[in-house]
Amino acid sequence: MAPVVTAERLTKTFRVKVRDPGMKGAVQALVRPRNRDVQAVRDVTFAIEPGEIVAFLGPNGAGKTTTLKMLTGLLYPTSGRAEVAGFTPWTGGPECKRRLALVLGNRQQLVWDLPPEETFLLNRAIYDIGEAEYRERLAELVGLLELTEVLEKPVRQLSLGERMKCELAASLLHRPPLLFLDEPTLGLDVTAQEAIRRFLIQYRDRHGATVLLTSHYMQDVTALASRVLMINRGRLLYDGALGALVARITRMKRIELVLGGGDGGRVDAETLAAFGEVKSFRFPNAVLEVPRDEAPATSARILAALPVADLSIEDPPIEEVIRRAFAQGLEEEGT
Amino acid sequence: MNPMRMLAAFWRLNLAEELQYRANFVASVLGTVFYMATALLTLALFFRHTTALGGWDYWEIVVLLGVFNALTGVIEAVLRPGIGQLAGEVRSGELDLVLVKPVDPQAFVSFRRLDIWRFADVVLGLALAAYALHRLHRVPSLAQVATFGLTLAAAAVVVYAIWVALMSLAFWFVSVENIAVLFDAVYEGARYPVSAYPGALRFLFVYLIPIAWTTTIPASALTGRLRPGSALLAAVVAGVVFALARVLWRTALKRYTGASG
Repeated sequence: MAPVVTAERLTKTFRVKVRDPGMKGAVQALVRPRNRDVQAVRDVTFAIEPGEIVAFLGPNGAGKTTTLKMLTGLLYPTSGRAEVAGFTPWTGGPECKRRLALVLGNRQQLVWDLPPEETFLLNRAIYDIGEAEYRERLAELVGLLELTEVLEKPVRQLSLGERMKCELAASLLHRPPLLFLDEPTLGLDVTAQEAIRRFLIQYRDRHGATVLLTSHYMQDVTALASRVLMINRGRLLYDGALGALVARITRMKRIELVLGGGDGGRVDAETLAAFGEVKSFRFPNAVLEVPRDEAPATSARILAALPVADLSIEDPPIEEVIRRAFAQGLEEEGT
Repeated sequence: MNPMRMLAAFWRLNLAEELQYRANFVASVLGTVFYMATALLTLALFFRHTTALGGWDYWEIVVLLGVFNALTGVIEAVLRPGIGQLAGEVRSGELDLVLVKPVDPQAFVSFRRLDIWRFADVVLGLALAAYALHRLHRVPSLAQVATFGLTLAAAAVVVYAIWVALMSLAFWFVSVENIAVLFDAVYEGARYPVSAYPGALRFLFVYLIPIAWTTTIPASALTGRLRPGSALLAAVVAGVVFALARVLWRTALKRYTGASG
C-alpha cells in the first residue's frame, strides 16, 4: 500500500531573539536585537502506511511537536517536503484538513460552560456532517468512549479524563483517516489512560485510521505503537519496532531471582556478583544484569548453583532504556 | 463548508451559554444606562459654556452619542469577545486548533464568541438617537433612514476592520493582550463630531484611524447633514479598510505559520 504520510528531509529552523540577562541585556535587545537560528527539526525522513500507529519518542524540545505541526499544516517547513493523505499539508487547504484530526493534550476546543454535545454540534456544522451520519458516528464514539453520562454535563464539571475523551470524540466526528495526537494522556490517571489507549486501538481497527502520537508515558508507546520514531535535537535517530530499539540500545538483560530453599540465607551479594552485575538484592529477591547473549547460559548456571524458587529474564525497564538512549546518544550505544 | 451554517451554530452555542447567566443581562443594561447618563452629563457640562461643538448643537451631538453607543454594543457583543481574544489564543496555542479546521480562520475567530446581552446597547443607543431626534423636532425621511442604515453598516465594518488590524499585531508581538485598551483610547475620539477637532486630529481620524466614518457619518445621515455622495463614499471606505485589514491578517497568519520566513 502507498504510505499515507511521508516526510522527506523535513527541516524547520526558527529564528529566535537572543538576549543577555539583566537590564543591560534588555536595553541591548531593544536597541540592537540579535537573532539566532535554532534548528528544531533537521532532515527528518519517514513514511507511514495506512492503519499504522506510530509513536514519536523524544525529550521535551526534541522536535516532536514541530514535526506534528508541519504534518498538520500549522507550520511551513524551512525545507523538505511532506505528503499527508495525498496533500501537501501546509498548502492543502480545507480538503486536506478534512482528512485529519489534531488533538493536543494540553489544549481544548470544548466550550467550557456548556455540555460537550454543544461543541460536537458546532463541529458537525464545520465539517458539514449530515444528520444521519452525525447520529451514527456520535453513537459509536459515545459507546466506545463510554460517554453516555458525560454528554449532558457542562464541560467544567468533567474530570480531566472525561474531557480528553470528549476532545477525542469532537475531533473524530468527521471520521478523519489520520489522527495526530500530541500527549493525549497528559496528566490522566491510569484508568483514563488505559481507556484512551483501548479506544485508539478500537478506532484504528474499525476504520483503518492511521495514528501518529507523541507521549511521555512509555505505557502508551508499548501498548499502542507498532513502531517508534525516536527523535532528539531535531534529528531522527531511530525508526522501527520498539523491541528492536530496546535490543539495539541495551546489550543487557535482567535476571530476576526469587531465592528459595532452607539454606537461602547462605547466598550473599558476593555469590551473586559472580554471575553478573547485582542491581538489587533483598533476600529472597535479587536482580542481576548480564550481557544479552549470555543470559540463557548464565541462567542455567544460576539454576544449577543456587537454590532458586523462581527465575525470569526481562528487558530492563523501558523508561530506563529510553532515558539511557537519549542520555548517551543512540549512535555510540548502537555500535 | 457553509458559512451561514457555521454562524448559526455559533449563535446557538452562545445563546445556550448566555442563557445560563440571565443576571448578566440586567448588569449589562444597568451598566449601559449608567454609562450613557454620565456621557450626557459631561455633554451638558460642555454646553453650559458653548452652544455648539464643531457646528453641532446639543441634541445633534446626543444623536451622535446614540450612534456611538450602538457601535459600542457591536464592539462589546462581537468584537471584544471574539477577535479580541486572539492574542491570548496565539500565546496559549489554542489558535492551532482553529487552524486545523477546514474553515476561514478569520471568520471563525471573529464570530465564535458573542456576548449577546451587549446587543441591548445597540437598542439603547438607537433609542437615545431617536429621542434626540424627537427633541430636535426632526422626523428623518425614508431616504435618510436608509442612508443611516447603510452608513451604520459601513461603520460596523470599519470598526471590525480596525480590530482585525490591531489584533493581527498579536502574531508579531505576542504580548499585545492590552492592545484593546489602545483601541478604547482612540475610539473615545468618536464620541464627538470630527469637525470638533483641530486639523491634525481630524486628518488622523478621517484617513489614518478612520473612526470619523463610524459615528459622524451615520449621525449626519440622521440629522440631515450628510451630502448625498458621502454615504456611497462611506461604503467604499468600509470596503477598502476591510480589504486592507484582510491583507494584514493574511500576512500576519503567514508569519505565524512560518510561510513568509
